[in-house]
Amino acid sequence: MSRPPGLLYSVDETPPRTVFIVAGLQQVALISNSLVYPIILGREAHLSPEQLLDFVSLSMLALGMATLLLSAKSRFVGSGYLCPAGYTQFYLGPSLTAAHVGGLPLAFGMTAIAGILQAAIGPALRRVRFLLPPEIAGLVIAVVGLSIAVLGVRYGLGGGASTGMTSKYLAILAISLTTMVILNIWTKGYLRMFCLLLGMSVGYAASAALGLLDFSAVIPSEGIALLRFPSLQLLQWRFDASLIAPFAVVAIAGILNLTANIPYAQRINDADWVRPDFTSLRGGLVGNGIATVISAVIGSMGVNSYGPSIGLSAATGITSRSLAYIIAISFALLSLIPAAAALITTIPAPVVGAALFFTAAFLFTSGLQMITARLLDSRKIIVIGFSFAMAMIADINHDLLARAPLLLHPIVDNAIVLGTTSAVLLNLLMRIGVRQRVTMKLDAGNVDRETIEEFLSEQGGRWAARRDIVSRAIFGVVQTLEVVGDVQEGTEIEATFDEFNLDVRVRYKGAPLIIPERKPTPREIIASEEGERLLAGYLLSQSADRINCRPYGNMTEVQLHYDH
Amino acid sequence: MNKTALSMEDSHAGPACILSIGGRIDSGNAADLQDRLNKLILSGEKAILLDFKEVLYLTSAAFRVLLVATDEAERNASRIVLCGLVGQVRELFEMGGLLEAFTVHGSREDALARL
Repeated sequence: MSRPPGLLYSVDETPPRTVFIVAGLQQVALISNSLVYPIILGREAHLSPEQLLDFVSLSMLALGMATLLLSAKSRFVGSGYLCPAGYTQFYLGPSLTAAHVGGLPLAFGMTAIAGILQAAIGPALRRVRFLLPPEIAGLVIAVVGLSIAVLGVRYGLGGGASTGMTSKYLAILAISLTTMVILNIWTKGYLRMFCLLLGMSVGYAASAALGLLDFSAVIPSEGIALLRFPSLQLLQWRFDASLIAPFAVVAIAGILNLTANIPYAQRINDADWVRPDFTSLRGGLVGNGIATVISAVIGSMGVNSYGPSIGLSAATGITSRSLAYIIAISFALLSLIPAAAALITTIPAPVVGAALFFTAAFLFTSGLQMITARLLDSRKIIVIGFSFAMAMIADINHDLLARAPLLLHPIVDNAIVLGTTSAVLLNLLMRIGVRQRVTMKLDAGNVDRETIEEFLSEQGGRWAARRDIVSRAIFGVVQTLEVVGDVQEGTEIEATFDEFNLDVRVRYKGAPLIIPERKPTPREIIASEEGERLLAGYLLSQSADRINCRPYGNMTEVQLHYDH
Repeated sequence: MNKTALSMEDSHAGPACILSIGGRIDSGNAADLQDRLNKLILSGEKAILLDFKEVLYLTSAAFRVLLVATDEAERNASRIVLCGLVGQVRELFEMGGLLEAFTVHGSREDALARL
């Protein structure tokens, strides 16, 4: 594990007190944007202004607890990384349906079932890791980023607001977003670290100046108290077997979302990251499941890991897990202040849009980097290309897909779920016929390097192996054959692969390779060809993670092992 | 032409002769590189900058050619400087402990400024 450039405070480090508190509050400001989903649900359930404020306050409490459970570092629960919770669009559709059928108690009851499902699946996640190879995780992260960007634009432009309103929205979006970008790129220290909070504040002030703030719709007629425990009058649960299927799909969507966000949190803490750590993923999933059950029990929607928050960590270089405490404490305190719920309920849409659009950029590019680190053949290109297109279709052709059967709505309603489902299924299909062990016989005569490069590159593409590891293997084979000299009849190369190992065996007729323990000096290398051969053996031993040379029948076999 | 085949192109910038190298350098083509370097040295070039930015990888045969040419340059009051060592190429120099055996600069601009 090595520290990526630009990382100011890593997962196990705690920033100085001022940075610690303000960075936590900045996350709270970003996560608060996700409260828009419970607000929509509450309004659709016809809650009174007072009930709505209670609902928002309880949702804040749930976010705090969920952030602790998702970020905890323990044996069974938590990812061990700063992985704040947020409300996502996944639960909105099924929760609205449940609220229309049986009121909010039914939405809460079914949400609890989704949470139990998630927690139950967590321990088995390692067994199905072949479903989610790193290039698919990269795709999901990119789709999450793109879909958050789309959401950001929708908010930024005010959805279906009138033309006059849209131009004001556009101005606020531009002011807010420009502030965030300028502070993030051209400043250092506090200004860069708190670019999002400052950008949102500037946007909020601009909204007030342009007359876009309206507190009247959220403040009860009798006014609001300074401090108040949120009323638990909404605490009721109902269940309906007919709604199990859509909520089960939502639970799976949450898992897929998590399998993008937690690897992203891992990656921004480790420059050497190559694949998801499934122990951390499993803990995060169990934490997410428990958090969703708690959220449903106290009367709120289901929670998920919140991608924009991890994007913010990447943008500011502050990934300290300890921020989870500040987030949890802040939300707990804010839930006791009705005015805070009112303030959050009125965060202007273009300010929300700017925050989402800004953080989406970091998610999207990280996903692309994860994809391009792998060699991709036609199969993988189809898996990634088709799935990316499916994700876009979910956003662009939303009305068309709305005609799908109700059961499929949780899948087709959402770009992330449709894209990921497509990727997982296509990946399974495209695995058919891909062998994990391949052999190539070499023609006698000169070493045909192009054929060797082509063979290993094509095979690496079929396996979606890491580009850098395949390059090292190509060097290993070419360097080995260079030392062996002219290729004799029967010389062959065998390559075997799984996600963790790439093994290449070169079998030839000839003397065993000399693998020196010390590196030859430049003088020795210049002096004779023997010095060059010593350098060859030394380079091979250093380039491969393990090298072995042994008799193989009447031939010699050089084994080159690469950790993948 | 195969995209991994060795390519060499020289140009001049001030007092320096820049040899941009691309592709793979191994025992099959190391002699070509040696010939090119010998010609540059014997033609009286006093500063030869080898830009490795487009090189994919190099084997022990290539390292030997570079070491021999560097020695030869010194004997002819010339010098060979390397730049553009990135990715696997840089790793190979590091693995062989050969970074110290050459004068290495990060980029072409950096190298030219110091020549």
